Amino acid sequence: MSLYLTQLWAVAWKDLVVEFRSRERVGAMAAFTALVGILFNFAIDPTVVRPEQIASGLIWLTLIFAGMLGLGRTFEIEAQDGALQGVLMTPIPRDALFLGKVLSNYLIMMAVVLLAMGVFGVLFALDWGNPAVVLATLSLGALGFTAVGTLFSAVSSGTAMGGTLLPILLFPLLVPVVIYGTSATNRLLADRPLSEVDGQLRMLGAFALVSLFVGAGLFRYVVEE
Amino acid sequence: MTPGPPTKPGEGEAGSRAMPGDTPPLLDARGLVREFAGLPAVDGIDVVLPPGGFLVVFGPNGAGKTSLLRMLSGGLRPTRGEVRLGGEVITGGSPRGRARIGVLSHQTFLYGHLTARENLRFYGQLYGLKDLERRIEERLVEVGLLDRANDAAGTFSRGMRQRLGLARTLLHDPDLVLLDEPYTGLDPHAAGVLRAVLETLRDGRRTVILVTHNLTQGLELADTVAIQVRGRFAWEGRSAEVEASEFEVFYQETVDRIESRR
Repeated sequence: MSLYLTQLWAVAWKDLVVEFRSRERVGAMAAFTALVGILFNFAIDPTVVRPEQIASGLIWLTLIFAGMLGLGRTFEIEAQDGALQGVLMTPIPRDALFLGKVLSNYLIMMAVVLLAMGVFGVLFALDWGNPAVVLATLSLGALGFTAVGTLFSAVSSGTAMGGTLLPILLFPLLVPVVIYGTSATNRLLADRPLSEVDGQLRMLGAFALVSLFVGAGLFRYVVEE
Repeated sequence: MTPGPPTKPGEGEAGSRAMPGDTPPLLDARGLVREFAGLPAVDGIDVVLPPGGFLVVFGPNGAGKTSLLRMLSGGLRPTRGEVRLGGEVITGGSPRGRARIGVLSHQTFLYGHLTARENLRFYGQLYGLKDLERRIEERLVEVGLLDRANDAAGTFSRGMRQRLGLARTLLHDPDLVLLDEPYTGLDPHAAGVLRAVLETLRDGRRTVILVTHNLTQGLELADTVAIQVRGRFAWEGRSAEVEASEFEVFYQETVDRIESRR
């Protein structure tokens, strides 16, 4: 394994081990997802609105709010005892550090995606149609969301406003994810042919790629003085 | 011997050399200036140290000592000036420069949820070290923490964390070691243990800069001493020429004289 990949994986592994032992982020994100699913279940009258017609939007917004909970804390573990400063004093390329953080955040986010599919699938009695494509849609959207979120989490962690600033910075940039993600998921839940979601999936993929490249390029200017 | 009169080497000048010598310097930093919001925190300091040199910098709070160390480490870009390490320009930080520098401050840069061994393994991977497990064992032995290698760093006392931080600092065998107030928050016993470990750095292989308020322990370790006040070296000299018992008074007088000009 090249040094670059070793460094990238070391950052991701460290984040995952810390998360596994502290369960600070996953616990909060999972509880939020489950509770929101239950509350929506009570809030919607199925005799007026068919759940599968609005489930897509509810799932995506739940994932974004749950993801915000986790992303807001991703640099908190780095702030303890000045750890980020120590990491920045090593020769790790700043883009490898960024991509390592994105990888760990993404894996945590995917655990929440699977939980959301389970919770909403059961409570709303959803027929996923082709669950693999639904999962692919959510995964692509989550990747773009995580990449942008990791960058802006670094930005907001260095400000006095901290976590309060993160949603203000992040929400406007997530409009494409919400538009194309909900559109694709809606059509999949309505059992439309795959050709109808092809364009949305491409847009989600493009958003994820651009977010990763731009984030990797800008990260050093965010964390270095 | 008394510390000598305040002959003003560097005082009021644009800079001062911490240690000129015949040997090619390992660290050659010239004309370092760092301004924050237009106010200079470091105001024209030269630091020239040969391989194996041990410089201790004393100074009051706000003298710019930490800013100086951060510029030398590459963690802070100077407003003006240049830092060379082994002849290579590392101003503002370069990957090759970072690989040759170790930094320990009162913050240990450790993750409390990782064990001592995992912390060192993580940093070792970031440095791309070969034979990492052997290095980890050696460093843990050096700082006396081998028996706690598999305990979470968050369960350690302040002194133990600082020793583990020193192991992290030395893990990649750096040529230049920068120590910023490493005694902060340590009780006398823990400070004594840390001092014994720092004593091993005087092996002639590494160049060390220590910033501390602890005059006694600083003087014992140093071969060159500087007093930094208001962003400049107000006095510097060889520690062999300094009488420890009189240095505290001299230090206070030097600081008071410069500070009273505000």
